[in-house]
Amino acid sequence: MSLFLQIIVNGILLGGLYSLMALGLALVWGVLNIVNLSHGAFIMLGAYASYYFFTLLHLDPFAALPLCMLTVFALGFLLQRYVLNLIVRGPMFNTLLITFGIDVVLTYLAQIVFSADFRVVNPSYAGANFTMFGATLPLVRALAFAMAIALTLAVWLILGHTRIGRAVRACAQNLVAARLYGVEPRTVYALTFGMGAALAGAAGDLYGVVSQINPYIGDPLTAKSFAISIIGGLENPLGVVVGGLFLGILESLTSLYVGSTYTDVASFGVLVLVLITRPKGLLGRTT
Amino acid sequence: MQPILTVNHLTKRFGGLVAVDDVSFDLFEGEILGLIGPNGAGKTTMVSLISGTISPSTGKVLFQGAPIAHLPAFRRSRLGIGRTFQLMKPFPGLNVLDNVAVGALFGTGGGKRHLEEAREDAAHWLGFVGLGHRERQRADELGGPDRKRLELAKALAMNPRLLLLDEVMAGLHHGEIDEVVCVIRKVQNRGITVLLIEHVMKAIQSLSDRVLVLHHGTKIAEGTADAVLSDPQVVDAYLGTRRV
Amino acid sequence: MRRVGSIVFVAVVLALLLLPWLATPALIQFGTTTLLLATLAQSWNIIGGYAGYASFGNSVFYGIGGYGTAIAMVQFGLPFGIGILLGAVLAMFFALLLGLPVLRLRGHYFAIATLALAEAMTGIVSNLDIAGRNIGLVLPLRKGDAFFYELSLGLLALATLTVFWISRSRFGFGLIAIREDEDAAGVMGVNTTLYKALAFLLAGFFSALAGGIHAYWITFIDPVSAFDITLNVMMIIMAIFGGAGTIFGPLVGAVLLSSISEVLATEITGMASLFFGLVIVVAVVFMPRGLADLLRRLPGLGWRYFRENLWLHRL
Repeated sequence: MSLFLQIIVNGILLGGLYSLMALGLALVWGVLNIVNLSHGAFIMLGAYASYYFFTLLHLDPFAALPLCMLTVFALGFLLQRYVLNLIVRGPMFNTLLITFGIDVVLTYLAQIVFSADFRVVNPSYAGANFTMFGATLPLVRALAFAMAIALTLAVWLILGHTRIGRAVRACAQNLVAARLYGVEPRTVYALTFGMGAALAGAAGDLYGVVSQINPYIGDPLTAKSFAISIIGGLENPLGVVVGGLFLGILESLTSLYVGSTYTDVASFGVLVLVLITRPKGLLGRTT
Repeated sequence: MQPILTVNHLTKRFGGLVAVDDVSFDLFEGEILGLIGPNGAGKTTMVSLISGTISPSTGKVLFQGAPIAHLPAFRRSRLGIGRTFQLMKPFPGLNVLDNVAVGALFGTGGGKRHLEEAREDAAHWLGFVGLGHRERQRADELGGPDRKRLELAKALAMNPRLLLLDEVMAGLHHGEIDEVVCVIRKVQNRGITVLLIEHVMKAIQSLSDRVLVLHHGTKIAEGTADAVLSDPQVVDAYLGTRRV
Repeated sequence: MRRVGSIVFVAVVLALLLLPWLATPALIQFGTTTLLLATLAQSWNIIGGYAGYASFGNSVFYGIGGYGTAIAMVQFGLPFGIGILLGAVLAMFFALLLGLPVLRLRGHYFAIATLALAEAMTGIVSNLDIAGRNIGLVLPLRKGDAFFYELSLGLLALATLTVFWISRSRFGFGLIAIREDEDAAGVMGVNTTLYKALAFLLAGFFSALAGGIHAYWITFIDPVSAFDITLNVMMIIMAIFGGAGTIFGPLVGAVLLSSISEVLATEITGMASLFFGLVIVVAVVFMPRGLADLLRRLPGLGWRYFRENLWLHRL
């Protein structure tokens, strides 16, 4: 029984990080209708940022979180403002293609600049554990989980209760009307995409603490973020949380009861099932 | 004589909204039935229920005696039901001729098998509606009235037995309305039955053999144009009192 | 003018046929790869270009075709001809099985579902013993680049002929109608479910054959390379760059992009990826309708062609 509990706890901790990973993607997708296939590359860049802050400036990864977010935010903002804004009103498929192209370029540049060697961020407390309810929680994972939930709540609050958030939502609903009310869509879009990127960067920072970093971690994480966004549903901001936790627990259970090589099969199998039966996700309305 | 179309206690609910509420009527072969009512009365929903774009919550639809309520749209087209859309949707990437050719290729009985035959048919129908001179133009370059003609030609190319027309005259001026009325008469002369949704009363009056009035999804009147248009309920709900 | 065109066409076809006896081994290998890529682009063209369903899943069928061939040859000792046919049949079976539910989705949901399938395949196959798990399978060696070259050429010709037939048939018209407006197509009598499934099947068929040839040619197959997503995107880019929904667009796209990528790769290693990435970005911004459209309208519009595209799509 306690093994089962441990598995669930592992799944929840993993799920928290997953939720954060998917949050940036879901935000940009839900609000800007941009499907960002380079999302994983931003996560990867966030991870490298935290690695260099750690090794060069001896900054603790949790302390470096705002810096990582800012770095990746800047990249995302510029990319949207000067590249993606050029094709936003075209067919949706074009955004899929162009973001894939960006993904390829970013991955390649990362490989050139950082080399393909595996990197790890190892703060001094990396191996620490504590127990709760009979389960062992690795400290870093628990902290990552806490950070992830905190950031998710922050995004929810920003979107719902600030001027920027209102501007973003206005653009999402009616671009023309938003313009008439003085909102400048180009900047708002760039800000939103930047936010999505920043969240990816944050996820990357936390990811670097619990797993290894190399230029190629992006694509599988993009795919996973998709799965989470769709499983949870894009309409409800809590969707990513539900999706992330669901996937985390599913993978944890699959790993134990079926085999660790089957986790991807399980995740994507569920994704396809959801797309077919409830395309709006677990939290979406069925009408 | 058996009606070509029978609608029996047809109801359609969208969540809490009842768009069509227990409506029944018959449509006889060769006649033109006008369907009028205020906006939101359920007219387009009714047409969509008949053409198969949506399925009913309850009730039956019989075409030439056979039930069709659960057939998908394309099967109903094969049986001979054609419709135009209120929001005109030409195939943007194709030229006018090919737009109509799609109808000829896939219409009643499965349509034509060969592109050449279909294009010939299409050319014929374009001439019929008065768009012959625009065969080679891209469909999305057409102006409003021409788009309506195109919609009509597309539906006619399917060789329908029953034609559902959804506000083909909206936004047209008097001269254009007269032309469309003329075309619809020609359609009737070919033996095609027509269900005509319109707000343009003079067209309804001059074309319809009978008229049906919908209000809030229910049928509130049915009869000849004159009878219906002077019915006090209809006047209240839709027409308003005439200012002398 | 038409006579000149026909003569040029025949000359090109002859040159292509005789290439293995005229060119260096490196060129023949490049040719084979390009021919296979062109076939993939052409097969995507059927479901993505004509039917308008942008599938990211053709690599699934490519991989299944390759694995079918490999398993038949390695595990059952069957000859190549049978193997590749089995691969194709297997792929079509999956195209139907997976296609029918997935084709009910629209727009980017369809694209993502197919992407998810492609991702899942790698995981599934790496757990199958019969497929050699993550190590993969080694196929029997067959010497002779000319054989694979001509086979690939034949496959491309078949695929292109199929697209040619589609472009002038009732089926093709139905697909185009589905692409332009699926609801209207249905109301006009097109059996959209059947047609989409058929398009998906055809695309899967040609992708599988290409996969089978490729596996036998390089005598090796493993889950990661068989279901490579990048391959998927390359074939889409080639089809779109050249002109989706046209007969020769995918061919032109494949040849052009492959050639440029090859030239660059010799200058700078690893450059191919960067090149493709940049091409995608630039092409999507400045020529989203592909080369075919560009060639048709550029002479008339000049630089305004690019400005027009920007204008249409920019925020």
